[in-house]
Amino acid sequence: MSIPVWILDIFAAVMLLVAAVSAGQLVVARAWTRAGARDADIALSHLLMGVAMAGTLVASLSTLPNAAWIVIFAVMTAWFAWYLWRETRGQGAGALVSGHHAPHLLHSAAMLYMFAALAGPASGGGAGMAGMATGASGGMQTLHAPTLALVFALLLIAYSVRDVDRKACADGYFHVVGRHVTPAGPALATAAAGVTGQGGPAGLAGGGDSAVATMVQPEAAEVPSGDLVTGPVNASPPERLLLSPAVVKGCRVAMGVTMAFMLLIMI
Amino acid sequence: MAEMSDTVAGRSRAAARDRLDAAGASAAGLDVRRALQLGLAAIWLLDGVLQFQSFMFTKAFGQMIGATSSGSPVIVSHAINWNAALVEHHLVLLNAIFATVQLLLGLGIAYRPTVRLALAASIVWALGVWWFGEGLGGVLSGAADPVNGAPGAVIIYALLAVLLWPSDRPSGAPAPFVAARAVGAQVARALWLVLWGSLAYFALTPANRAPQALHDMIAGMASGEPGWLAALDKHSAALVAHQGLAASIVLAVALAIVAVGAYLPAPVAKATLVLAIVLAAVIWVVGEGFGTILTGGGTDPNSGPLLALLALTYWPLAAAGTPRADRSVADERPEGITA
Repeated sequence: MSIPVWILDIFAAVMLLVAAVSAGQLVVARAWTRAGARDADIALSHLLMGVAMAGTLVASLSTLPNAAWIVIFAVMTAWFAWYLWRETRGQGAGALVSGHHAPHLLHSAAMLYMFAALAGPASGGGAGMAGMATGASGGMQTLHAPTLALVFALLLIAYSVRDVDRKACADGYFHVVGRHVTPAGPALATAAAGVTGQGGPAGLAGGGDSAVATMVQPEAAEVPSGDLVTGPVNASPPERLLLSPAVVKGCRVAMGVTMAFMLLIMI
Repeated sequence: MAEMSDTVAGRSRAAARDRLDAAGASAAGLDVRRALQLGLAAIWLLDGVLQFQSFMFTKAFGQMIGATSSGSPVIVSHAINWNAALVEHHLVLLNAIFATVQLLLGLGIAYRPTVRLALAASIVWALGVWWFGEGLGGVLSGAADPVNGAPGAVIIYALLAVLLWPSDRPSGAPAPFVAARAVGAQVARALWLVLWGSLAYFALTPANRAPQALHDMIAGMASGEPGWLAALDKHSAALVAHQGLAASIVLAVALAIVAVGAYLPAPVAKATLVLAIVLAAVIWVVGEGFGTILTGGGTDPNSGPLLALLALTYWPLAAAGTPRADRSVADERPEGITA
């Protein structure tokens, strides 16, 4: 007997939810615009990882062949590695652990390993891993180099615990994109400083988990210059929820734990 | 003009992001005890994820629980057999519950508002598992082996939860180490002495000092492990072949030194703590095979990481060890809860 299907279904549902939330964030933050593009890569990576993991967990949710996922996650790993390397130039070696892109690099690398090291009975098949519990022999799929799986799992768990511990605002993305309205020009800097500087990140951390990440988008300015707007002006409640640091954090924790789960059960 | 505005906005955004990151890092700054709590949370989380492995959904899991009753007193063996039978009859449901509980314990300890609740629950859970699932770690049956998890990994979870409880004794005196903050230095040292002293004792029991006991135990760990770990096990086993008594004496002496180390001056205590961490690492790799996680059959990471984490809670603190200076956000009592 292997892991009950309903457990895999639950994990797959959570991953689809993460993917849906990430897609929503991309839309709400208008990530295709210049202002919104900054952290679009992270949301996009979560979207792809969510879809890939759901397909790995449940055969009927498979979308792409393994080879395609390997290419996708290889590119993603290189992308985040490059960003992290840039962070280390500015912040030193500490960025390797605590840098903004460090957990995303880890997630991408873990996904790359997972698809590349697949040694299970269904690995020769078509789309994806074709579900964990439905291999040709009826057994669980396994991974080559299981020690690496353990290392990745331990790191993922460590980052997940760290994420849960940290304030939701600390590393949420979409800090500075979206549809908030702030005055352009000199007032913009004032607004940014007021929100992120004195008195702490009042517009962000101050609101705690429910706070909407502050978004600055000068082209959307709708108030007279000099009027400071720090709160969400145009964001509807669902948009606020999608972009809230707590949701961002929750998605990342869910993804990290699920990834660790998948790696360990495929050892 | 629009481009310039974009450029200014871009710089401001970058600056805002940097300030945010810095503020976030500062707000989330950890004290030593909080860091150790997170270590405990991570191990619970790993434990919960491991409980979801396919092996745990087979009858072998129930049989594994039942096997721990061998040689235990009746009151213990009855409890284990009852639990094993229950698990075998409701395998999927109960194991899913076990895994979820452990997962929640890990997340609960990591989440600051629930750290007290999760630590308290972890103590109750650990004591229950120690009795009903691990047969008190073989302590009463003579099967306890310090190289293979005695006195039961799960009881060390409970001990850590007590020592890392987020409160400070009102004495006002600086705590010499993190473990002393909640229970006081004398109690913490006594607990350390009992744990490591008992490990030294177990190392010398007849079952463990037999000529081939250590060899057989280590060699037996190689089965199902990856090639490099299996080779390491075989070589390690060969080193202690027919040397059971000598190896047990050396191990017992090392464990005894660690046990009394908490009572020694700080520089010496640090040396014994390093020895404790080295022993924990050797035990985890050679004796426990990383908790047999790499075989797909490990229910938990076993005692090695927990012993190392425990050793870190006794690491002498400098000036930052004062209760006030070393206070974490998690130590703030939630509103509405009184002592």
